[in-house]
Amino acid sequence: MAHELLIAGLLFGRNFVGIITRPYETYRRIVTKGSLWELGYIAALCAVYFAVASVIKIAAFRPFILTRQFIVLAGAACTTYIFMVLLLSLTGKVLHAEVSARRLLLGWGYTLIPTLVWFWSTSILYILLPPPRTTSAYGILFSVVYLVFSAVLLFWKIMLSYLTMRFGLRMDLSKIMHMTVMMVPVIGWYSIVLYRMGIFRIPFI
Amino acid sequence: MTDAMYHKFVKRWEEVTDIPPQTVGPLTPAYKTVVSKLKVMPWPVLVIVSVAVVAGLYALFGSAITLLVSILQKGF
Repeated sequence: MAHELLIAGLLFGRNFVGIITRPYETYRRIVTKGSLWELGYIAALCAVYFAVASVIKIAAFRPFILTRQFIVLAGAACTTYIFMVLLLSLTGKVLHAEVSARRLLLGWGYTLIPTLVWFWSTSILYILLPPPRTTSAYGILFSVVYLVFSAVLLFWKIMLSYLTMRFGLRMDLSKIMHMTVMMVPVIGWYSIVLYRMGIFRIPFI
Repeated sequence: MTDAMYHKFVKRWEEVTDIPPQTVGPLTPAYKTVVSKLKVMPWPVLVIVSVAVVAGLYALFGSAITLLVSILQKGF
């Protein structure tokens, strides 16, 4: 097990760099040769983030409340991940795609990297420059930079999601577009549920 | 070509042709041009598109974009 974890760690590091520099080629490798152990590293990064986010949100050292907050965030993110993989499988089956749970788990797992980067940076900025933003020149300048940064990560996320469908389900562009049209309302509904439950205002998808 | 190199080439060829290439009818050349820029180091394209989107938002909503940022900053 330690041996597999070590190899998965090296693969994770290589793939992490790969999805930044050569996403297309890297995703092809992830879905065909990737190991499920790599997901452990993504889960660990998420767990560290949820621990930090709990402290920032609660803003007090109350172990019981912090633990509860951590469990709520981690549980919701875990449920969302499983929900997304099931949704991809189901819509893939409807569109007669080659569904493979392993390929989808790995592919979608790596799409959490842009999500994590956004949540990490937003949490850190929340401490350094807490909202609300003003309409002064500096406020507008920060807003523009923050929105550009968020949009870049959103487009990266969309690109990795496309590659998950392309290589994970072996679909062509028209089927991917059909699939997206089918999935967006469901994801929208799910995000509203998470918002109403007060777990994530921006869904951790 | 040496045997090892040939086998490497065949392996790579099989990997690349595993999924049929994407075509979009008459738009295929344009699609290929766009996708080729996203396959390796997509960041310049992503930044340019994002700047254009944010410039559009600023042109539409003006300083009210700070409200959107305030909401996003509380969104984690």
